[in-house]
Amino acid sequence: MLTPPSVLVLGMIAAAAQFGAGENDASIARTLIGVLEMLLPLAAGGGAASLIGHDPVAELVASCPTGYPVTLVRRLIVSLTWITVLAVLASTALIATGWWDRWPAAHAPLPGQLTWLSPVLFLAALGFLAGAVLRSPGTAAGIVAVVWLTQQVLNSLMQSSPAARMLNLFVTTRGMPADWTVNRLVLLGGAVVLFLFAWLVLTRSEATYSGEGS
Amino acid sequence: MKSFVATARYEFTMQWRKRSVWIVTGVLALLLVAIGAGQLTYVFDASDTKTAMARAALLLQLLLPVGYGSLLADRLVRDRQIRIAEVLDATPADATARLAGKYAGSCAATAVPILVLYLVVGVAYGIAEGDWAAAGWVFAIFVVITLPGLAFVGAAALAFPLVMPTPLFRVLFVGYWFWGNAVTPAAMPTTAQTLLAPEGAYGLRQFFGYDEEIMRPRGDLFNVLRPEVSATTAVLSIALLAVLSVLLLAGANAVQSRSTR
Repeated sequence: MLTPPSVLVLGMIAAAAQFGAGENDASIARTLIGVLEMLLPLAAGGGAASLIGHDPVAELVASCPTGYPVTLVRRLIVSLTWITVLAVLASTALIATGWWDRWPAAHAPLPGQLTWLSPVLFLAALGFLAGAVLRSPGTAAGIVAVVWLTQQVLNSLMQSSPAARMLNLFVTTRGMPADWTVNRLVLLGGAVVLFLFAWLVLTRSEATYSGEGS
Repeated sequence: MKSFVATARYEFTMQWRKRSVWIVTGVLALLLVAIGAGQLTYVFDASDTKTAMARAALLLQLLLPVGYGSLLADRLVRDRQIRIAEVLDATPADATARLAGKYAGSCAATAVPILVLYLVVGVAYGIAEGDWAAAGWVFAIFVVITLPGLAFVGAAALAFPLVMPTPLFRVLFVGYWFWGNAVTPAAMPTTAQTLLAPEGAYGLRQFFGYDEEIMRPRGDLFNVLRPEVSATTAVLSIALLAVLSVLLLAGANAVQSRSTR
């Protein structure tokens, strides 16, 4: 619960530092929107990856009327709701203060919410699936981190491939504006597929109740 | 010394047997093949084998340590989570020796898949270009450049989760790693390409022929940490990472000692 507001604050500090250094408005607006598109999804993915694998009384949980997979999904919903509240508040503040429109590739306020929603859901579903399959928060978070960082470091290579562009998490701040809507929808679809896989794993695996030997 | 060796050996074995240590590196290798194949041209276009391996190493060095740090982040807090810290504290084994052993053992085991991936790249280059010196250069770069960076990451991954939740550390660490190593200084003020960057900017350029200049944007406050590349500054960069690693471990030791009292 602490991670999403922490990354928001860090992003705001970075933007304030740019403001203090006299950088242009577009650059500062890019950082502010980048907080929504880059840092909140990373927090969502890392959080979802940590939901499974270290329940000390998993066997007791298994004996409850509510199944363990349902409990995990509820945890995920709570985590994503918290991130949604923060993202809506932050984007509303950016729109109200005019910073949203100062980034040339920003979209209209309502569809523009996909700026953060699509990557948040995609990385959360990826972290949740990795956690369900591997039952190790460290490994699942590591996979989310590696996917996030690879997309950052190899961003220009991803731009050169139409297929890779569709899975680009950072298309608003580091991508091609023409692909934006399709990219956001592909990410949402990918999130649904990853989540369904995670559900299948959770409901079929006895091993879900215990993490990898830590 | 006996406590250190025993702890290091146990931690190494425990970490070595975890499949997760190999999975994260494997996922990265798959991603590199899937979307980073174009980067191979950049590696193969280098003027000589040493520079080619330096380019390949920098690419891997920018990506691999995030998985490394994430995997190590629960090593020290784990003892409290599974409630064996008090039992260990009650043994004659010195707490500082145990901490050093845990650090050395778990960091070494988690670094093995990274070394393997480096060697795979070196062998692939050797097969493609017929120059088997590539494997030797990869090994040398791993020892001189990668290990100091991993030592720093490992120390941070053990120390910081003692004072903040582990999931928060993992996210902040990835953010730091991207900002402090991968972001170019031209884009924003960053510790990338400074003496303090664990990517090994100075060592790669001085000892292994990495052929891109250090960027020094006008007015950048981090330029003070970007002296001319020389043998002295390259060694200084490695030494600074070592000192930072020791300081982080000393901090972790102090936090642990205080919580034991």
